[in-house]
Amino acid sequence: MLNPFTRIAGWQAFGIGLVFVLITGITGTFSNVAFDGVIDMHLVQKLTVAQSFQFLTIDLISVVAIMTLTGFIISKGFRIIDILGTLTLSRAPLIIFAIAGFFTISPDKNEILKNPYIIFQSVSFIIVSILSIPVLIWNIILMFNALKISCGIKGNKLGIAFTIAILVSEIISKILIYNIVKI
Amino acid sequence: MLPTYCPSCNEQLKVKCLHCENCQTEVTGKYDLPLLALLSTEDQQFIIRFVINSGSLKEMSSELKLSYPTVRNMLNEIINQLKEDEK
Repeated sequence: MLNPFTRIAGWQAFGIGLVFVLITGITGTFSNVAFDGVIDMHLVQKLTVAQSFQFLTIDLISVVAIMTLTGFIISKGFRIIDILGTLTLSRAPLIIFAIAGFFTISPDKNEILKNPYIIFQSVSFIIVSILSIPVLIWNIILMFNALKISCGIKGNKLGIAFTIAILVSEIISKILIYNIVKI
Repeated sequence: MLPTYCPSCNEQLKVKCLHCENCQTEVTGKYDLPLLALLSTEDQQFIIRFVINSGSLKEMSSELKLSYPTVRNMLNEIINQLKEDEK
């Protein structure tokens, strides 16, 4: 559950991960869950299939690119396919967010802007938000282990490198999404 | 398994005596243990399997049912251990 990468990595992980990403993208389209960042997702009013997959692709490219760069800096030797595969499979828990979107009623954006406290009136939104925390943590742990196994690093070096890499990839994905998808 | 560290003070052991079972000759001296003997049984087994698999990490990963980077990390750990012991 937390570290499948001791057994699965490389192309195999990439293949399985890609299936999860595809299902997440399609489900997210219908449940209006936009994965608009590496560790970010929002309920939107309307989402097209193209937008959904653009988000997921940008997220994946951003995190893989930054983690690969991190690998080059702190690791002696690794295979890019292991980073790509393990990080793609790390996206698997996102499917839970996509499904949860079906059961969440988010207040209208304009109403939230007028009165931000209206958000607390949506019980489903609050429940899903609370339940999403362990899923997000699971997602981050998977990405952490993906870097750990793929690059063979551990200790403080791994912790610091991962924290910086995940923050940088989140920022880059946000910039790319803002400039490319323009939602 | 061959003991490599002193059970009393944990210092690395040396070979003092070797014995021939055929003619009962004993060779005494002060010999260093081979570097590979200092590794754990699991690590020694890993090295043996690695050599048998012609040094192929891919073969090793399918034999051990572990991912390629996991096997490579195991090998790197052994390399680091050997480098430590060599000092």
